[in-house]
Amino acid sequence: MHKILVIEDEPDMNELIVEVLETAGYKAEGVLDGIAALEKFASMQPDLVLLDVQLPGFNGLEIAKKIRQTHGTPIIMLTARTDSEDIVLGLEAGADDYVPKPFDSPVLIARIKARLRDLKTSGSEVFTLGPITIDVAGHEVRKDGVRLQLTPLEFKLLETLAATPGEVFSREELLIKVWGYKFEPNDKFKPDTRLVNVHVQRLRSKIEEDADTPHFVLTERGIGYKAGSN
Amino acid sequence: MRKFPRWLYAFFRRSLQARWVTATVILSTFALVSVGGFLSYSIGSGLFETRQQQILAEAHRAVVEVQNTFTASASADTETLQGLMNTVIPNLESKSASSSRNVALLRSPGQSTGQYLQSPVSLGLDASLIPDSLRTAVRSHPSKLVYKSVSLPIGADTHPGLIVGAHMEIPVAGAYELYLVYDLGSAQETLDFVQRTLFFGGMALILLIGAVSFYVTGRIVSPMRKAAEISAQFAAGDLEPRMEVSGDDVIAALGSSFNTMADSMKSKIDELSKVSQMQQVFVSDVSHELRTPLTTIKLSAELLQSRAEELSPAAVRNLEKLASQISRFESLLADLLEISRFDALGVVGDFEVEDLNGVVGLSLAHIQPLADSKGSNLEVIIPNGPVQAEFDPRRIERVLRNLLSNAIEHGEGKPVRIEVGQNATAVAVTVTDFGVGMTPAQVSRVFDRFWRADPARKRTTGGTGLGLSIALADTKLHNGWLQLVSSPNKGTTFRITLPRKQNVLFSQSPLPLGRSRS
Repeated sequence: MHKILVIEDEPDMNELIVEVLETAGYKAEGVLDGIAALEKFASMQPDLVLLDVQLPGFNGLEIAKKIRQTHGTPIIMLTARTDSEDIVLGLEAGADDYVPKPFDSPVLIARIKARLRDLKTSGSEVFTLGPITIDVAGHEVRKDGVRLQLTPLEFKLLETLAATPGEVFSREELLIKVWGYKFEPNDKFKPDTRLVNVHVQRLRSKIEEDADTPHFVLTERGIGYKAGSN
Repeated sequence: MRKFPRWLYAFFRRSLQARWVTATVILSTFALVSVGGFLSYSIGSGLFETRQQQILAEAHRAVVEVQNTFTASASADTETLQGLMNTVIPNLESKSASSSRNVALLRSPGQSTGQYLQSPVSLGLDASLIPDSLRTAVRSHPSKLVYKSVSLPIGADTHPGLIVGAHMEIPVAGAYELYLVYDLGSAQETLDFVQRTLFFGGMALILLIGAVSFYVTGRIVSPMRKAAEISAQFAAGDLEPRMEVSGDDVIAALGSSFNTMADSMKSKIDELSKVSQMQQVFVSDVSHELRTPLTTIKLSAELLQSRAEELSPAAVRNLEKLASQISRFESLLADLLEISRFDALGVVGDFEVEDLNGVVGLSLAHIQPLADSKGSNLEVIIPNGPVQAEFDPRRIERVLRNLLSNAIEHGEGKPVRIEVGQNATAVAVTVTDFGVGMTPAQVSRVFDRFWRADPARKRTTGGTGLGLSIALADTKLHNGWLQLVSSPNKGTTFRITLPRKQNVLFSQSPLPLGRSRS
């Protein structure tokens, strides 16, 4: 049973999310503020974090950054402001995905499932991309023999691109393959391609010499991204 | 039309100063020409009159003197008389520069008696210049001086001249006529000089008036031009420039009132934009603040619904109502937020080159369940092959879905027709229903926020009343048109026309907005 930490300052909401998650079969615990959140994270060692970015007192972005310093645990942001800088800032701080308020519980559960599914990626291939080797089974990326710290999502993104170098993936395709989104005709949540852009940038900052002139993860203007090796 | 160079015409139309200076110069030229003409005329006639008086007095003396001389020599013989004649007459000549005078003593014709004497005539005088009319007049008025103005040829020039004639009785010899021919060249010279002076003085004066009026109008026009420039800048949205104010005259008053107006406009505009910004922020904040409680309500309802079997049937029905109102509330919030984004000009299209047919297909798939529930058949007419255009597919899909759900809701179960068209510069979709339709008054309000054609009508699609406002804003974002025609009980056609490329202008929609087919 996966453990989920819910960080949400609104007590009713917190309680309801925990109940929804438990109904869905997860072990969930909620905290109301940032300081308690970090303590709880350390003691609980959750498999996933639900984080309201508009936490009073202790900024949600700070928590995401602090968690990212030590752990690759998936973080899903909950946010009421979808058109502000908050989304990009949250993603840059380390969140893997976000769910805008107001959300349906099935949507929330689907996103959580998609994030947790990443952890169960299995395969035995080893891809190489110039000096970079990607060991899928060992869940490990090395550049010139030095191990790089990637989050599971970043790993999945790199793995997806590197599996077929030169093949261009659109942002929507990546949302489906990497994030596990399913686009239904009546889906209220439209694909937000900022998700892909920010994560590609984060991945580049870890594997490229200079993230602004990439050699391994290349932008195909107007279409999407592809893996290269020069 | 006269041949008037176009650029000159344009220049005069543009330059107030040029018009003023030209008008001033033309009017003062008229004034100067009339004054100068009058002056030159009166100076000329005054000059000649005086000279004439002088000449007549002089001639009178000379005639009396000559007559007396001849009368006194009554006893003389022919030879003495001839000698006398040859001395007296040339004595009357004068060759001074100011007034040259020639003399001729001519024997009156038609005398048979008396001694014939040689007539003395001044050297350089052509006796034939003396007109016969004058000679006749002298003979018929023997006691009077008779004169006449003539033109005297002097070298190549012609001078004005005056010939004075008098009858003369010379003893023994008979009747003679004495003619004194005066050259008035010097008077003419004086007059010429005066006229030249007037002409050049006048010219100088006109140039001077031109220069002065240029300077004066420049002084008046330049603040006006400045004011025009500053107002233009102001109109273009730059609220900073102000006019320079110096002195205490009407120009300064213009400047300072302009500045006052500019200041008050700027503060008003600043105030308004602040208020409107605050209002937009407020609407956006409210919409966001409502989201967290709405999420809580929604999650509660969902949890309750997941345990529906534990509830009474009445409670389940209430729960369903709650859920449907929550979802309406949610779409209302989303639409409100979208409108506030448009109001804040914070919307940027995500333009891609796409096939419009595909987007139409997507929106039809979305709307099919609603059409089925209302019994409306969806008739689709699309061109063969792709309809490529540059647009934001998500927004256009939303617009189409909105038009389709409106058509189905007001279509009374009759078919709804969707047609796609294209031409070189534009693409278009029409959505036509054959339902209730609208009156012209209703049509004029159709894009107003929260306006509904028939408030009493049962709402089945849960529209927010903002759909068409958003659709219009989305269309404008694409530099496109959203238009409609409607007639009561016949139905409504909406047409959205979009440019093929965002920077390409179009003037005609590929589809007619009429209701030609049924």
